[in-house]
Amino acid sequence: MTESDLQKLLGTSDPDRGCDESGALMDEYCEAVLRGEGSSAHFAEFCAHIANCTACREDTESLLALLREQDSTNPG
Amino acid sequence: MTTVTLDRESAEWLRDLQDDGRSREHAVARLHALMLRVAHREASRRRATLPGRTLEDVDDICVQAASDALMAVLAKLETYRGAARFTTWACKFAIYETSTRLRRHAWRQRKVELDDTIWDRLADASPPALQRLENDQLIAALYRAIDEHLTERQRLIFRSAAMDDVPIDVLAERLGTSRGAIYKTLYDARAKLRHALIEAGYGEQERES
Repeated sequence: MTESDLQKLLGTSDPDRGCDESGALMDEYCEAVLRGEGSSAHFAEFCAHIANCTACREDTESLLALLREQDSTNPG
Repeated sequence: MTTVTLDRESAEWLRDLQDDGRSREHAVARLHALMLRVAHREASRRRATLPGRTLEDVDDICVQAASDALMAVLAKLETYRGAARFTTWACKFAIYETSTRLRRHAWRQRKVELDDTIWDRLADASPPALQRLENDQLIAALYRAIDEHLTERQRLIFRSAAMDDVPIDVLAERLGTSRGAIYKTLYDARAKLRHALIEAGYGEQERES
């Protein structure tokens, strides 16, 4: 058994504001990631949430992929 | 309150959508087209994970998701504060509506045990999450903790979402509630189980938060 198996099952104890409040930050977070600012303390609870919530993590990954695609289509 | 200056394009979207006349009509049509493109893109991104019957319905699913995303954006327009570009903010609604519908459709013909009969299956097969664990004593302690510390609803949601890998959007639909409410129950159940396992001598003391 690895630590990540157990963490996937039981989540982490980091502060987590849940899907609704985290969802409100998703767009801001994704643009920050593209600017290289995704690790800002402002997003700590959002990052804890997407580590624990598969649905919100997948949605965030989709939005990030969309923005990256748009950036590569419209550079500058 | 922090004042955010909108970028030009976002300001134009907002101005047009709040207009009373033809500018609004055009903006709504453009927004709907954007929601539909994002919905199709999201479906395409998930294609490999979708069963054949969902792929057959994918165009209808995208149309419904785009319409609901458009309604959500228009209903929440006054909450847009400009922390991200308007289109980024709007696209997250299209992604949410599409991913939720696709997860639910993909699970439509799959059974989710919504009562304690779920426990009867333990003798026959390990849930997917436990097949990844190998420590028999820890698994036994986890089962004890589930049995002794969780409420009936917490047991149901933890077993389905964390152990059987049922998407929380599917549980939300079948239990008549929201993704957020299911997640909150899962979060509380996990916290109780972590605490119980630490008390039983497994793992380290949790950090104070």
